[in-house]
Amino acid sequence: MRRERSGVNKQYSFPTVRTQGEETRPSRCPDNSAFKQQKLPAWKPQLSTATVLPGFFLTGAFCLAVGVCLILSANSVRDVQIDYSDKCSDCSKFRENSSNWNKECHCSVNFTLKEDILGDVFMYYGLQNFYQNHRRYVISRSDAQLLGRNVNSYCAPFTAYRNGTPMAPCGAIANSMFNDTIDLFYNLNSSAIQVPVLKTGNSWWTDKNVKFRNPKSYNLSSAFAGTARPPYWHKPVYLLDEEDERNNGYVNEDLIIWMRVSAFATFRNLYRRVKRIRQFADGLPAGNYTFRIAYNFPVTKFKGRKHVILSTVVWSGGSNPFLGIAYVVSGTAATLTGFVITAIHLKLRKKKTYFQK
Amino acid sequence: MLMEIFSCLFFFFFRSMNVFLIVYLCILISKALINTVLKYVWQSEPFRDEPWYNQKTEPERKRNLFLRAFTDFLAFMVLFNYIIPVSMYVTVEMQKFLGSYFLTWDEEMFDEDTGEGPLVNTSDLNEELGQIEYVFTDKTGTLTENNMEFVECCIEGHVYVPHVICNGQILHDCTGIDMIDSSPGGSGKEREDLFFRALCLCHTVQVKDDDSVDGLKKNQLSRRSCIYISSSPDEVALVEGIQRLGYTYLRLKDNFMEILNRENNIEKFELLEVLSFDSVRRRMSVIVRSSTGDIFLFCKGADSSIFPRVKEGKIDQIRSRVERNAVEGLRTLCVAYKKLTAEEYSNAQKLLQNAKLALQDREKKLAEVYEKIERDFILLGATAVEDRLQEKAADTIEALQKAGIKVWVLTGDKMETAAATCYACKLFRRNTQILELTTKKIEEQSLHDVLFDLSKTVLRHNGSLTRDTFSGLSTDMQDYGLIIDGAALSLIMKPRQDGSSGNYRELFLEICRNCSAVLCCRMAPLQKAQIVKLIKLSKEHPITLAIGDGANDVSMILEAHVGIGIIGKEGRQAARNSDYAIPKFKHLKKMLLVHGHFYYVRISELVQYFFYKNVCFIFPQFLYQFFCGFSQQTLYDTAYLTLYNISFTSLPILLYGLMEQHVSADTLKREPSLYRDVAKNALLRWRAFIYWTFLGVFDAVVFFFGAYFLFDNTIVTSNGQMFGNWTFGTLVFTVLVFTVTLKLALDTHYWTWINHFMIWGSLVFYIVFSLLWGGIIWPFLNYQRMYYVFMQMLSSGPAWLGIILLITVSLLPDVLKKVLCRQLWPTATERIQNASRHCREHISEFTPLACLKSPRYRSSDCSNSPARRSNSHSKKMMFTHWRGIDYSVLPSVFGYSNKHCRSSAGYRYSGSGLETSV
Repeated sequence: MRRERSGVNKQYSFPTVRTQGEETRPSRCPDNSAFKQQKLPAWKPQLSTATVLPGFFLTGAFCLAVGVCLILSANSVRDVQIDYSDKCSDCSKFRENSSNWNKECHCSVNFTLKEDILGDVFMYYGLQNFYQNHRRYVISRSDAQLLGRNVNSYCAPFTAYRNGTPMAPCGAIANSMFNDTIDLFYNLNSSAIQVPVLKTGNSWWTDKNVKFRNPKSYNLSSAFAGTARPPYWHKPVYLLDEEDERNNGYVNEDLIIWMRVSAFATFRNLYRRVKRIRQFADGLPAGNYTFRIAYNFPVTKFKGRKHVILSTVVWSGGSNPFLGIAYVVSGTAATLTGFVITAIHLKLRKKKTYFQK
Repeated sequence: MLMEIFSCLFFFFFRSMNVFLIVYLCILISKALINTVLKYVWQSEPFRDEPWYNQKTEPERKRNLFLRAFTDFLAFMVLFNYIIPVSMYVTVEMQKFLGSYFLTWDEEMFDEDTGEGPLVNTSDLNEELGQIEYVFTDKTGTLTENNMEFVECCIEGHVYVPHVICNGQILHDCTGIDMIDSSPGGSGKEREDLFFRALCLCHTVQVKDDDSVDGLKKNQLSRRSCIYISSSPDEVALVEGIQRLGYTYLRLKDNFMEILNRENNIEKFELLEVLSFDSVRRRMSVIVRSSTGDIFLFCKGADSSIFPRVKEGKIDQIRSRVERNAVEGLRTLCVAYKKLTAEEYSNAQKLLQNAKLALQDREKKLAEVYEKIERDFILLGATAVEDRLQEKAADTIEALQKAGIKVWVLTGDKMETAAATCYACKLFRRNTQILELTTKKIEEQSLHDVLFDLSKTVLRHNGSLTRDTFSGLSTDMQDYGLIIDGAALSLIMKPRQDGSSGNYRELFLEICRNCSAVLCCRMAPLQKAQIVKLIKLSKEHPITLAIGDGANDVSMILEAHVGIGIIGKEGRQAARNSDYAIPKFKHLKKMLLVHGHFYYVRISELVQYFFYKNVCFIFPQFLYQFFCGFSQQTLYDTAYLTLYNISFTSLPILLYGLMEQHVSADTLKREPSLYRDVAKNALLRWRAFIYWTFLGVFDAVVFFFGAYFLFDNTIVTSNGQMFGNWTFGTLVFTVLVFTVTLKLALDTHYWTWINHFMIWGSLVFYIVFSLLWGGIIWPFLNYQRMYYVFMQMLSSGPAWLGIILLITVSLLPDVLKKVLCRQLWPTATERIQNASRHCREHISEFTPLACLKSPRYRSSDCSNSPARRSNSHSKKMMFTHWRGIDYSVLPSVFGYSNKHCRSSAGYRYSGSGLETSV
């Protein structure tokens, strides 16, 4: 009786006593810890219909509630936007010719408020088609210089003049700073009262107090000695605000606000706030107003527009209906989805019970 | 960067991942191209190209247009390169490396007997363990213990079972004999003695002493110290078995065989002739002279070769017993004797002498002589020897088959033995229709005809039945088992002269594909590899796994995608050459069904999630280019760009890749059919990939345009101040990090404290980092653009509301999709999840089976439990089950077994297969 085996000749030895294994066992025997055995105590959630349905309804209810609140509050926001880029056609033409860069051009824009704007009124300038977010533009600045240190790299192509005088502040962003001055007048009984406005407190506190610092010196003009204004500027940086020492130089709020580049080509920046005194204590009363604008900033060359905006603000921001609408829409969608899932669930359950019978 | 990508492409094995990567590479290049082209279209108007406020530098102006375009293209590539998740490779490698430790740590895969645990020689193949379609297994030593054992003997219809069966080891208390039937009468006693002596004498076993010094003495005193050696383990098993029944074969000395009988007396028999075994006769005989001078001829052999030569004895009883044993997968032998008179003996001796001395046709003449001598036997009884299957081998194979894996047994053994083992380990079932493709059959017909016949049989049946691959049960259709031997295989593999060489091969593959189990016997080691290669390279390119224990399996282990070595008795050659080594065959079940499944689920989620989160990450950046004049302006700060993949979102997914258990390990083990849910790369198919990519794009669009409309030329704060581009980017990034992390949280089904720690921890880390990053004027940086950006954003109410809304909106569709899919088209895995959940909730109201609501799954689950139960039954129990006629009255719960019996009318192979297992 012979059996054939493949491959190597196997030795059969019986009986064998296995002692080797017992000796080596303790060393090779794996740990019995829950982690190693993948048996850690765990919460095992399943996305079943029953657990998800309340979620959908709750989300829906929450979104609807928030959305309605947002829409209601956004409705109370007043927003007056005036496009003045072509209002003074001579000025816009005048600015197209760059040889007139240092000549002044004044422009008045009249408008009427039909009802009072109550509360804090903010004055913005808005630009359209101005690509502040273009990469070449965004990187052309020197934060170190604005911190008061004497470095101005990364500012190409506005680092220094041909003769080597560095620009202060350097870079394309600073160079192209919005330089229209806009004053608001309230026309009351043929006399124009200038609406008092606040120049400061418009920028982030941290920007004003930490991120932007003037170079240290006994006075500002000496601090900026050896530097020159950017080519498009009318006056050097230490003359940006001659009335207020703390709003001059690099810490000038118009500069600070301009240096925070916008995310899109259409944007607005905070320019002034209405100071709430005298007849403007409650905001702007209804009536006729005039913007008197020193039209310096050319926009027609890049087919842009500029606006001046008067707006109030509530807890949910400005007059943007998007958030409210989005909340209402997603709330409705979530609720409807909840109903659909319920319907499917019930239908299937009926079928199942039918099957089970 | 690109070099990195390409080198990764070549060295990375993961099939679908590479395809996805190429898709993403195409997306990357097309994105960069689109943006470059659009940039120049956009810039064609001079007021946009160089407005007064944004002038170019001198060198920029002078640069050649094409050079500029090329640098722009490269800049876009750099900007978007995060879409090719390089960090994914690192994470995948780490996940594989660390994940493989769970395999080696697994206590259940540790073998107490040998003191061996699983070894992982490569961690590259972890997820392939969840994709196996073909398992090629060696038989001896892998399926079986390689260790024969005497199970019972039947003398004249009385069954004797050795008292203690203990895995090949002989125990002290071997005196008792378990009499199942009533004790035999006088003549029975005599026959019994003869039977035991026959077994003690009729063999070619040699005795080797363990200790050569006082071997014999020790041998007599203690039976343990001797070792029997034979070319056939069956003989050893028989001699050992008889020893346990009280008769010990001591040695062959000076042509005298000494045996120690039950009364501890030594009996001596003179060995006169050995009519040795050959595979045609399938029996062997010895002629001995007892001390009393009687001459006996003892013969043992396959029942088919003994029964025709028997003239006396309780043939019917013994035959039924033999058949019963054969059905149970035992190797049966019949024992018969005849008493020779001196005259008869001398005749026989003369005939033998002549035949042995013949110069021509000696074999033939010998055969004739044997034929003459071996006749007119008196039947004594039958033995049953078991090549013990490895513990739970049948269970394992059954589980693998239920998991949709085709199991092939490749063995060097001969067909009958192998077939018996295959029956025993449930590779072939009772109702499996066996197709033979053997040398014998090919001799009768031409190979061509045989193949075509077989394929006709197989295909005809399949054509009429639609295959339900997902039901978890393929018992509705006729099972086919194929038996092929080495010679036939080499004929098939041999290229034909007339040029149509692939023809047979294709036909053969077609047949194999339709067989649930294939047995290849008489395989040379290289042929094993050849078979593996044949399947591996067939047109579906299935993932193959080869498992074996010996040096002869090495070639096959190396050839298969995944090679597994059994750390067996035959050295570690196989284990050393394999990708994984396990102590026992049964561990394959957990390795594939649990670990493989987990690894696959984890890694597929990991890969898809990585692509997803990088799409979410980069697509807003792409969209932003349309708003910034295609100027390559980044949306996010550099720190965020760098750390996104490194620290904000990497650890939760790595941990998911290590810990996730979408169903519990026990369930996976209990329900092998769940393996089909992930078969054929189900989670990395194009549909899943496209879904993930679209989800990523959708989320990215939500982030970007949500934030865009939020910021759209309006005031986002409640104090009238304005936000800039970095706040916009930070808002998008915050939504992105939260969404992506929460998406993973939604996918996590197994929340240990580590998961909580990692997921919430990385979100907290993001916030803390952002606060810190924006909280200080960093002296070493030349820009301070992030200064207080994050805090200013958090101080604004609308930004909070926007973040919450955008996160919700980007997560809800995925939740909805999950719930709907679960409700309408649940996978088996989800049904199990539901069921277990349901069971937990209503444990008092329903029985566990009743709460499986789905009708489809209920059938398979119910049928699983009785099947499992019958596994644990002894084989005898099983037998009665099969034989019972009253199946139809069983409740329908037993549908599983029912189906088996219904088609038992098929060709009963077992009878002819097992009788020849000598």
